[in-house]
Amino acid sequence: MGYVDVTGVRHTLPDGRVLLDDVNFRIGEGARAALVGENGAGKTTLLRIIAGDLIPEAGSVARTGGLGVMRQFIGSVRDDTNVQRFLVDLSPPAVREAWEAMEAAELALMETDDERGQMTYAHALSHWGDVGGYEAEVTWDTVTVAALGMPYDNCKYRELSTLSGGEQKRLALEALLRGPDEVLLLDEPDNYLDVPGKRWLEERLLDTRKTVLFVSHDRELLARVADRVVTVEGGSAWVHGGGFVSYHEARTARHERLAELRRRWDEEHQRLVDLVRTLQQQAANSPDMANRYHAMQTRLAKFEAAGPPPDRPPEQKVAMRLRGGRTGVRAVIAEQLELTGLMKPFDVEVWYGDRVGVLGANGAGKSHFLRLLAGQHVPHTGDWRLGARVVPGFFAQTHAHPEWQERTPVDLLWHGEPGRPGVDRGRAMAALRRYGIADQGEQQFRTLSGGQQARFQILLLELSGATLLLLDEPTDNLDVLSAESLEEALGAFDGTVLAVTHDRWFARSFDRFLVFGADGQVYESAEPVFDETRVLRAR
Amino acid sequence: MTLAVLPTVPDLSVRSASSRLAEEFPELSPRSIVLVVRTCREELRGSPTDALPELVERLARQRLRVSLP
Repeated sequence: MGYVDVTGVRHTLPDGRVLLDDVNFRIGEGARAALVGENGAGKTTLLRIIAGDLIPEAGSVARTGGLGVMRQFIGSVRDDTNVQRFLVDLSPPAVREAWEAMEAAELALMETDDERGQMTYAHALSHWGDVGGYEAEVTWDTVTVAALGMPYDNCKYRELSTLSGGEQKRLALEALLRGPDEVLLLDEPDNYLDVPGKRWLEERLLDTRKTVLFVSHDRELLARVADRVVTVEGGSAWVHGGGFVSYHEARTARHERLAELRRRWDEEHQRLVDLVRTLQQQAANSPDMANRYHAMQTRLAKFEAAGPPPDRPPEQKVAMRLRGGRTGVRAVIAEQLELTGLMKPFDVEVWYGDRVGVLGANGAGKSHFLRLLAGQHVPHTGDWRLGARVVPGFFAQTHAHPEWQERTPVDLLWHGEPGRPGVDRGRAMAALRRYGIADQGEQQFRTLSGGQQARFQILLLELSGATLLLLDEPTDNLDVLSAESLEEALGAFDGTVLAVTHDRWFARSFDRFLVFGADGQVYESAEPVFDETRVLRAR
Repeated sequence: MTLAVLPTVPDLSVRSASSRLAEEFPELSPRSIVLVVRTCREELRGSPTDALPELVERLARQRLRVSLP
């Protein structure tokens, strides 16, 4: 069994800011710990320090039991890495080195077949056997059968880029969970997985006896799997020993305690300062008091040298104000609507104030449906119309705005769009501040993080005065706190909401569900349905 | 891991390598071929059993080829 022990770790950014200071925590044997925090708080840096990629400036990381790391980019591998190379990279260092040596020897032998080459190759082979390479190959076979449904020999030269994001993630997870490493670091293991895939991941993580530290933004996954939560905030980290369900309470309590400690420290500090001043005056008149004055000065200096307790971390201030407005009773009406080639005709009526979750398989036409309602051109037959005073506002997945890439948020706000008046710089900055992206106001849109792009799009919805929100996977890139802020804003929104989502936690806040089935049927459901299989269509 | 058996107990891989090499090098006596194969086998002791026949045969062929004028 393995554990990770982080003691007094400190890390400074190249520009001199202290990102992490005095980070202490221990992930005991068999624990399943979640690492949460805002984007940019230092989660990935902390993972890199634990993985040994970065040397901390101070402090140390102790760990036993071998470490397996799944990096964030897995799922979006687009280079020419093949399955074999990928599995080798996920193996323990000894296996990796033996494999490199064997590859090098094989290549050398292909070029010059001499006695030296042959002996090197023979040594490499026996070393491969010694480090457990043959056993590893047996494991890889089980892994590829489990993840891709085919034996290792059939797919080892297959390029990783021909696998879907979900398949890449599953391959990595199977390899790590079945591998010999006792401690696993998983950076967003649930990205690119659909809901059945996420459920599978949850079961696997609950089953494993390994020690797991994972980063995730999926609240359902956090709630089901994590038995403790490590939070990176305010330049340090703290551990909540319970699950995610009681996490919010614990976090609020901790913040209050920190604020209380700080208040007491400030009071005590003020008292000492006052005392020093009084004694100073008295010392001027009476030499007897001079000693007491000096003693009190020393005491104050020591008190100040010990420093104040850590500040309460600044609250992430994302205040979304989606106002909306009263519209006709029927907000959306569709009769025998069919998006060409995507589904069978269906009828639907959405009422003012409804919260409708649009669910279903990938490729079933959910996003197209939303785009149609947003007024974009989507080939269809049948009728649809919006009710009186219904103004649609569309939130697309973040990569859907190529025309924004080179522009800055301030610029985009200033110019406005048809249906959204431009605003002056002052108002633009105020709005950006409310969404926690004021510092990025002059950055190009494409350099914003996924979460920042998402928040900016919600801000545009606010400014456009929409009364019907059409949201396509709005929580996908939002960290936990921003997602909650969005939910709150939607709760207070006066109007109608249609949202496509795979986020099970988010889906709970809806009251109706429109499910796009894999067989082309569109039906209503009172409960969320997540296990529609992928649509198979001849390509 | 199974280590290679000692060369005093000649196994099938050595015998098949010897006979194939004997056909390839008719100018050499079968006796010397067997000797070379066994030496190679001894030197490659410790290699994985599955890879041994191929390794032995390659090394022996290399040495025999070099020994020819």
